[in-house]
Amino acid sequence: MQRQSADIPGASPEHTNQGKPAKAWLWPLIGFTIGYLALVAVVRNQYYQLMLTLVPVWATLGISWNILSGYSGLVSFGHAAFFGLGAYTLTILFVSFGITPWIGIFGAGAVGALAGLVIGYPTFRLRGHYFALSMLAYPLALLYVFEWLGYQEVSLPMRRDAPAAYMQFSDNRVYTLIALAMMIAALLVSLRIERSRFGMSLLAIKQNEIAAEAAGIDTFSWKLKAIVVSGMIAGAIGGFYAVVLLVVTPPSVFGMLTSAQALIMALFGGVGAAWGPVIGAAVLIPLTEILHAELGDKLPGIQGVVLGVSIILIILFAPEGILWKVRDMLRRRRGTDDRTTSAGPRLAPPDVGTSAVPARAGPRADAPVMLEVQGLSKSYGGLKAVQNVSFVVREGEILGIIGPNGAGKTTLFNLLNGITRADVGKVRFAGQDIFGLSANSICRLGIGRTFQVVRPFPRLTVLENVVIGAFVATRSDDEAYVQARKALVRVGMEGDADLLAGGLTTKQLRLLELARALAGDPKLLLLDETLAGLGSDAVEDMLGVIRRVAADGTTIVIIEHTMHAMVRLADRFVVLDHGTVLAEGAPEAVTRDPGVIEAYLGKKWSAHARA
Amino acid sequence: MTRLLKPSRRTVLQTGLAGSAAIAFGPSRLALAQVQEVKVALIAPLSGPWARQGALKKMGADLAIKHINAEGGIKSLGGAKLKLVVMDAGDSAEKAKNAAQRLVSSEPDVVAGVGSWLSSFSLAITEVTERAELPWLTLSYSDQLTLRGFKNVFQTSLPASFMAGETMTTALNLAEKETGKRPKTISVINDNTASPVAFTKDLRAGGLEKMGLKVVSDDVFTPPLADATPLVQKLRSARPELLLMLPTALSDYKLLLEKMNEFGLSKGRLPVVSNGAPLGTPEILNLLGKDLLEGLIFSIANWPGKGQEMLEEEFKKETGEPWLSQDPLCSYGHIMVMREAIELAGKADRKAVGDAMRKLDTKGGSGRFFPGGNGGMKFDEKGRRVGAEIVFVQWQGGVPVTVFPEAAAVKKPIWVKK
Repeated sequence: MQRQSADIPGASPEHTNQGKPAKAWLWPLIGFTIGYLALVAVVRNQYYQLMLTLVPVWATLGISWNILSGYSGLVSFGHAAFFGLGAYTLTILFVSFGITPWIGIFGAGAVGALAGLVIGYPTFRLRGHYFALSMLAYPLALLYVFEWLGYQEVSLPMRRDAPAAYMQFSDNRVYTLIALAMMIAALLVSLRIERSRFGMSLLAIKQNEIAAEAAGIDTFSWKLKAIVVSGMIAGAIGGFYAVVLLVVTPPSVFGMLTSAQALIMALFGGVGAAWGPVIGAAVLIPLTEILHAELGDKLPGIQGVVLGVSIILIILFAPEGILWKVRDMLRRRRGTDDRTTSAGPRLAPPDVGTSAVPARAGPRADAPVMLEVQGLSKSYGGLKAVQNVSFVVREGEILGIIGPNGAGKTTLFNLLNGITRADVGKVRFAGQDIFGLSANSICRLGIGRTFQVVRPFPRLTVLENVVIGAFVATRSDDEAYVQARKALVRVGMEGDADLLAGGLTTKQLRLLELARALAGDPKLLLLDETLAGLGSDAVEDMLGVIRRVAADGTTIVIIEHTMHAMVRLADRFVVLDHGTVLAEGAPEAVTRDPGVIEAYLGKKWSAHARA
Repeated sequence: MTRLLKPSRRTVLQTGLAGSAAIAFGPSRLALAQVQEVKVALIAPLSGPWARQGALKKMGADLAIKHINAEGGIKSLGGAKLKLVVMDAGDSAEKAKNAAQRLVSSEPDVVAGVGSWLSSFSLAITEVTERAELPWLTLSYSDQLTLRGFKNVFQTSLPASFMAGETMTTALNLAEKETGKRPKTISVINDNTASPVAFTKDLRAGGLEKMGLKVVSDDVFTPPLADATPLVQKLRSARPELLLMLPTALSDYKLLLEKMNEFGLSKGRLPVVSNGAPLGTPEILNLLGKDLLEGLIFSIANWPGKGQEMLEEEFKKETGEPWLSQDPLCSYGHIMVMREAIELAGKADRKAVGDAMRKLDTKGGSGRFFPGGNGGMKFDEKGRRVGAEIVFVQWQGGVPVTVFPEAAAVKKPIWVKK
């Protein structure tokens, strides 16, 4: 470990995660704000002023949607629920209690946040389409609730006595300024999230929720935080929308159109990018209105057709939104050669060849037990996937778990790191009972894990992919980046830190996966088929890396098919077959065991071996 | 507010459309009243789910403009022609409000307007027109429209809260007159959308009891209905003498009426009273057929009666519609109200027209196109038409005909005697 704490390029806190100088993200925001203010100052037509107000309103709702759905990949079809609750909160506070919208907006935000909590808590049990569909139900239900409550049409009273105190201005530009301020606030929140472990954790969830959980990310709590923040923003802007529209009806705020609007702004502009919804709203709101104004009274309905077609085209040609399309095009145009220069010579990680592997003695026989597994079983209906499995892992050891396809190796890993709950058994790690703990808390205790199928986030750099694994072991984000760079050094990928993960080779992906697990500084590392699919040279390199990781003091349990590689790597084998431990012991002994040969190759070969 | 608005309006004027420039700087004939064209506006849903109603409203307004211009335009302005500016209110309150904002910004010389059918749209639109001091007419029933202290909103329909009481009292009177017996029991079925809920609010809160009616069953459902059997079964066992039925969706009318037919309650055997514009449309006839509709009575803000046969004939010929209904009749009448106000103002200026609208008190003019008020047109301080009444329309032989008030009734009401 001490070896890596030497000079690490770019790990100093002045460098932010994008590898750009700090605050670079601030300039577009300042530019946009100045440009928008200039527009507000110039435009005199009240109708255009209203458009200038509506753009930031819908952009803010889009940003709110993006914070939950864009980053975490959990699509919400029901953001109208938060929006509408906000609108009604402000309206009811004003109409029934005489509370000014200046305060009402905060009330709306608070109700939105609370709704996020109440909706998120049960709904996050669902995933994928099920989540999306059940989100759809909330605004639909609320629509009827508010009709039932008798709030079919509520209009905000005109306060001629003190208009400004009740957010009523005859100069429409004031509304634009308020809307702009709210949008900038939402944008700052979104940018802050995007650049912190909050956003990275959400991205990790989007990419692979199970892997994120195994990397020590408490997915449930991050998702809940995201929906609370998202609900708060949607609620606040919903409240402001009521001020702009002055009339609130359930269909206008809880309607399907409202939820769709949130989604379309983000999809059109750019999913999972803070600026995406802003771009979406800045294009779509004026476009819809122009179409409506120009065509609505001549060919009624044609505006919907034109808008629909343009959205379909965008989805076809830029499925993730305009922002990403443009960014990719720019990157391709100027980035082709700098990618080859940075990637080319570094493809073979330096210092990783077998020759450079430090000599590693196996663990001492009296090394303390790190992991103790007793009588672990898991059945799926009649299928006993893992049956009464017991073994120990000693500190500093490399334990190979081998067995034919379907022997239960990956299931065993899933049981050990908490992804699947075992039926019975005991698992003790470093003297602590970890049976039944969640995957993220097991990771927190110091068990890292890699997965057979590597799914990196292609638009993020190698470093950003790895840092996801470092959050569990660090408090500040800067620390996490330092830790991630250390992990890259450990696997020999320090030179590839700024490559986009989308362009990596299989070997680089495996190393990346390994680095991500190492970034959390685990005491015990579970490696799931890390060598699968690699060529013989790559296998050699990988073996070197694993040995070195072990030599640095990390205990390793590895699942592998490739026998000849395993024999050279592991100190000891546990052989699984049909979910039970078939044999256990030193590699030479195990590979000669007729039972093992039979399990792998069939009876015929076991007879051979005996002969 | 006005002080702040002024500079921006002036700049709007300067940068305004060629049309307004032509008026301001055009051929410099001397007199004040040398306006050649006066613009009035209609904001109606021309796209989306209410497009049909918007189209009907436009038909009525177009016909009125045609008549006025054929009769020599606005006399006090030297025969200036009326011109209709139409804007699409779309399918949401937001779009309706945008349209109103567009109207007041890009058409600064519009002097009065009307719209937009749905009361939530009208509420949103009038928030804009009031701030621009543009006189605005509406047929929407919502009480709120004229309870906000606005000076420039004029409601010709009897507001919803009165409409409910009027409807029930009139229905009871009609029943007593036709059958000799005043109904004592009633059932209520309505959906939970805005207007039925507003309609029944006071009736449920003791209103029906005060009329001497016992409520024997009372159901509120969430549209759309999947099956009307439970509702109608309950109705049959409750055996009311009168049913107040207020669905909104045509499909719910269909389900309810079909099921009542099946249970032997149709064709006036259980008198059904309802309310609202959708009940008088040709669409409902196509969907339900004349047998199911036979005998159904509904109250409505406006319907052509005696004395409007000529207008109705011309409307039918002009548009190909099977009959004149509330929406085109109202917008026809609204344009006629505007004409009177502009004539009175003698100026093509929205403030002057607004003042004139508040002062308006005519007899036998535009008031002929609205029920009640002795054929006059006058607004009270809230902006509500003085003496506004409702019309009772009954489906008879596949046509919705006016049966009340008597002065306007085309046919006698049919009320089955038990």
